[in-house]
Amino acid sequence: MKTKISIFLLVAFATSVLAFSHFSSPGVPEPWTTQQLLNPADLAKTLNNPSAPQPIVYSVGMQAIIKNSIEIGPAMMKENLNSLKSKLEKLPKNSNIVIYCGCCPFERCPNVRPAMELLKTMQFTNYKLLNLPQNIKVDWIDHGYPLSE
Amino acid sequence: MRKLILLVAIVLSGSYFLNAFAQKQGLEIGDKAPEIAFPSPEGNTVALSSLKNKLVLIDFWGTWCAPCVKEQPELAKLYKKYKNTSFRNGKGFEIYGVSLDAKEENWKNGIKTLNISWIQVSDLKFWRSPVAKTYNIQELPYNLLLNGNGTILAKNLHGSELEKMIIRFMK
Repeated sequence: MKTKISIFLLVAFATSVLAFSHFSSPGVPEPWTTQQLLNPADLAKTLNNPSAPQPIVYSVGMQAIIKNSIEIGPAMMKENLNSLKSKLEKLPKNSNIVIYCGCCPFERCPNVRPAMELLKTMQFTNYKLLNLPQNIKVDWIDHGYPLSE
Repeated sequence: MRKLILLVAIVLSGSYFLNAFAQKQGLEIGDKAPEIAFPSPEGNTVALSSLKNKLVLIDFWGTWCAPCVKEQPELAKLYKKYKNTSFRNGKGFEIYGVSLDAKEENWKNGIKTLNISWIQVSDLKFWRSPVAKTYNIQELPYNLLLNGNGTILAKNLHGSELEKMIIRFMK
């Protein structure tokens, strides 16, 4: 129990420190390019068409809300990032991969950057970040896009 | 012909009103806050409507939301200061914390660590919680101040702005 509480404290502390400091510092380039931002409408269209080639979609946030997505857990936590890493190690470098979190606006999200940095470091060539600039509610659920059961 | 004109007029006015209705997003000051009845950490359902006759702050938050976590000690100060105060339309100040957490463990640990002593409820559905829709929540933290009848007095005030508003409704 004590460990759990101290983990929570650590996470809360790290979130606040990170959220209010270097997250989207001006001048520091984001670990993704504009071309790597995937339009939610495009992903929704693909997910709604089972005959289309499907990407592997990882939730690196609180909950795998998007249909057929795989829950990793918050990527800001090392254990979750390691679990993502071990899943990625089994995939070809040109796999079609989509990352999303959707808890908060990008500038405050503690999870998307570690995940995108990992994919970059592992030299994947075909990965995207789902463009949820506000959050998963406003940019996905409110549009009626497909949800997990 | 007259019937046709009448019919067109009815259809047009109907679509005008429907449109006006659809454009009204979320809740406005003066609206009645819709009912929320979610479990507390102990598993008892606590209804918002059970807080009638008190000044109530609905605080929508989550342990994963850094600015929300940062705000909790400020809310604790307000709670301590005003919980037994008499207001124009209610006796006492209560906070009804609604968490959009996804994991029970994170939620409960958060409440414990932050030492929150006011009402806490959650359906643990993250952004899929029906309240996110009924209250048209766009971002966290988000809050509403209600009077003793459950009518919305203020929307999304924080820090000194929130305290000023609470003071405004003191007897």
